[in-house]
Amino acid sequence: MNMASSELRSRQRRLEPVESVPPTATVRHVDQLDTETLDYFYDAVENGRALPADGATNLEVGEIIVFNGYVRVERA
Amino acid sequence: MTHYVIIGDGISGSSAAETLREEDPEANITVITDEGEPLYNRILIKEHAKGKLPEAPISIHDEGWYEERDIELSLNTHVTSIDTDERIVHTHERDDLEYDKLLVATGGTPTQLPVENSDADGIHHFWTFQDARGIKEHAEQSDRGVIVGAGLLGIDFAAVCGAQGIEADYLMRGDRWWRYALSNEGAEIMHEGMREVGVEPVFDSGVDRFEVDDDGHVVGAVDPNGERYDCDFAGVAIGLSFNTEFLRGAGLEEDNGLVVDEYMQTNVDDVYAAGDITRFYDVLLGEQAQNGSWGSAKEQGRIAAVNMAADDEAEEFEWVSSYSITHFDFPFLSFGHPTLGDEHAERKYSDTEWRRVAFKDGKIVGGVLIGDLSPQSKFKQLMREQREVADQAEVLLNKQVDLDDLE
Ligand SMILES: Cc1cc2nc3c(=O)[nH]c(=O)nc-3n(C[C@H](O)[C@H](O)[C@H](O)COP(=O)(O)OP(=O)(O)OC[C@H]3O[C@@H](n4cnc5c(N)ncnc54)[C@H](O)[C@@H]3O)c2cc1C
Repeated sequence: MNMASSELRSRQRRLEPVESVPPTATVRHVDQLDTETLDYFYDAVENGRALPADGATNLEVGEIIVFNGYVRVERA
Repeated sequence: MTHYVIIGDGISGSSAAETLREEDPEANITVITDEGEPLYNRILIKEHAKGKLPEAPISIHDEGWYEERDIELSLNTHVTSIDTDERIVHTHERDDLEYDKLLVATGGTPTQLPVENSDADGIHHFWTFQDARGIKEHAEQSDRGVIVGAGLLGIDFAAVCGAQGIEADYLMRGDRWWRYALSNEGAEIMHEGMREVGVEPVFDSGVDRFEVDDDGHVVGAVDPNGERYDCDFAGVAIGLSFNTEFLRGAGLEEDNGLVVDEYMQTNVDDVYAAGDITRFYDVLLGEQAQNGSWGSAKEQGRIAAVNMAADDEAEEFEWVSSYSITHFDFPFLSFGHPTLGDEHAERKYSDTEWRRVAFKDGKIVGGVLIGDLSPQSKFKQLMREQREVADQAEVLLNKQVDLDDLE
């Protein structure tokens, strides 16, 4: 793996299911995502694909998205 | 220095305040709300009522947010009338306020059922965070529920009952849930979702009256067929009445909502409106329309503010709204105006997958996706491009939609 691709990997995001939400969490509803982010998000939920690096979506590491389950955005 | 007054601190009013401060750093900005707390996430309060989300993450702004931006926030302040000749806002709680430009962003209030005992204890309506707290507390102690209102807000009550272990009957007037947007095949998927969480849909029903005990607490609902349903919890979501009483005599054009153009301007100079309350000119649809969704309200607030600050028709509102239901183990997304249009195409793919696309003059104006959201951005793109595709509905109903297959 060359530098560029490992760097890219480290900026990618994945989704992790969460069971309970701490009071300090940042939480958004899926309807707050823009159309493009929703596409990426849905693909990640359905097909387990990684989310693209910062900038391509408006998802923040650590935030929880309320969808059919609750998921947290994590570093890939 | 311009004085902007915004009535309503929901997402449309708050988004307008934020944009106005960015666009006009010197201006005076006042936000008035009759609620006791600053902007919170209205589309997450149902998760709190379900018992799944603590209160703190639902709040969006604290009072410091307004202070930092030098925006005056007036909580617990009810606007009673406005004088558009003198440019004055009258309130119950404080002195009159003069404005140069006014934004009305007051949304709606859930409509009460016009039946006996509809205001009894234990019968809930759902709009504010306070409502959600009350619903949660009561739902935690309840066993049997009745839900009325076969639409997008009624189903939130079904989800609350499901999550809080309340066995409930969902009394619907017609033969299915959201009959204006779903056929029987689509609705049946939703009915199955309800049954799985312990909520039984009851068709060709509704509520003729509620019954109460000696303490005035609801104990049952009787439908027009004379059937009685036991309940110690009831949720009513039959629609919204727009908060326009204070506009009486102000000369603003109303048509079940405040009429605005694509710049969010009302018919009265320097008075704008944004959010649920508007009947706006939808540039994609080519006619006046209404949206009742978070994203649309936020964008309307932003657009109104841009045009207010520019004192010009600087940017028009062009938006395809989305509304999801996340309560079941399959996704649901309604987009655009699925209940409008002159024709539609639909298909069922499996017991949990169904799709409808609605067309007007051959162009997509909205739709509903159940079970598979993958084509959502493609359909929205076609809407924005105003492509005439109704005669190629087959391409849109393919499980995998490929826009390159369109002629
Ligand atoms: C339970 C529930 C679930 C929802 N789920 C979703 C969803 O999943 N997805 C989605 O996109 N949308 C959803 N919505 C709809 C969405 O919340 C609304 O479309 C959006 O919040 C509207 O924002 P608004 O700013 O136009 O109005 P509001 O948020 O209603 O704000 C209007 C404000 O004005 C205040 N006000 C009214 N009259 C006066 C007066 N005379 N003086 C002072 N203040 C006044 C009100 O108290 C209120 O605070 C849901 C709504 C509810 C209630």
